[in-house]
Amino acid sequence: MSGGRAVVRRARPLLGTLVEIGATTIEGAPPPATSAAIDAAFARIFALQQRLSRFVAASDVGRFNAAPAGACIDVGSDARAVLGAAAALRDASDGAFDVTVGSGPRAWRLDARGLHKLADEVEIDLGGIAKGHAVDCAVASLESRGVDAGWVNAGGDLRAFGELALPIELRDEASGGVRRFATLEDGAFATSRREGPDGASRHASVAAERCLWADALTKVVVATGNASHPLLERFGARGWLHSSPIGSA
Amino acid sequence: MLAGTTVAALAAAPASAFAVDYLSLEEAQRLMFPDADHFDSREIALDATQLQALDAQGIRGRSARWTVRIARHGDTTLGVVVADAVIGKFELISYAVGIDGDGAIRQVEILSYRESHGGEIRLPAWRRQFVGKTQAAPLRVGDDIANISGATLSCTHVTDGVRRIVAVVALARRNGSLP
Repeated sequence: MSGGRAVVRRARPLLGTLVEIGATTIEGAPPPATSAAIDAAFARIFALQQRLSRFVAASDVGRFNAAPAGACIDVGSDARAVLGAAAALRDASDGAFDVTVGSGPRAWRLDARGLHKLADEVEIDLGGIAKGHAVDCAVASLESRGVDAGWVNAGGDLRAFGELALPIELRDEASGGVRRFATLEDGAFATSRREGPDGASRHASVAAERCLWADALTKVVVATGNASHPLLERFGARGWLHSSPIGSA
Repeated sequence: MLAGTTVAALAAAPASAFAVDYLSLEEAQRLMFPDADHFDSREIALDATQLQALDAQGIRGRSARWTVRIARHGDTTLGVVVADAVIGKFELISYAVGIDGDGAIRQVEILSYRESHGGEIRLPAWRRQFVGKTQAAPLRVGDDIANISGATLSCTHVTDGVRRIVAVVALARRNGSLP
């Protein structure tokens, strides 16, 4: 552990939530270098939001949602990374992971030409996976600027990197407050709560190497109610279903 | 397969409060306007007509009094910084908005974050504890860097608050109470 090393910690409202970035100060560099690395990581997340948000009309997703059936949308590398993972997860989970939220799980296709829209009514919402990808990209941005340890937390989808043990507090969704749940080292952790297809409200967390997988796989655990879903092992992940109140199990 | 990832579940602890100080207002305004050589504080008071004008834009004025920090380089006005705090279901978030001379948002920085039980956060004592806090303590890697993982954290209150501040500053500029 890098006990005693100074950390610069900042937060901004992005991705519809609060994004926090922590970075241990860059060795041998003046303090503003760490701050500039954090600014660059925030800028990376903002750029990604402008390309992937369904609330931004000119984004890849916004243009797809507005297009008629038969259209082929030209998409950027972030949309390709996220939609590629989404298609793999949809197929492997028998549709339990669905970025169309029921509007047409198989009515889109990504290939070398672009993103094909196969039905008028299908709309994509990357809310269940893009935050994780944004966290991974922000981590890569910090590392590329010489930050050797830190973390990025997008409203609970978080990843720690370098020699650092990050204590994780789980928010009690019902009554507020937080409980110490785990310590995370060089990996990702995400939490989700929503109603499964059977109407039962479920609250789940997943740890994985990359935040994109942690974020997306919480949706699979919530949808199926299975914290040991075979998909988790395939992606080197581990899942938890939380009873209410958290930690009483 | 869980290469490099260590997640050790710890014993269930009782629910507790959570708090982080990111920046003091002074630090935030220096970050937002690094070229400023001084900041002038100015109080703006909105009258009933102005609050109504905000209402008409779909913005609840909430407060009639605002403190605005004007960033200056010599005699040149670079922009303004306004700090505010919003209360969510379980959280109290204070933040600062930097606005350029042309009214565009330059930067939004979270100053501090407090989370606890819903009832507790609305107690006046809790607010007082928050209000006095301006200086960010030096942070060390250790227990004090804990992060929350949750499912429902939304920044709607912050984005609404930012919109309100932009409107208040625009109003103050129009009536001449801000440069």
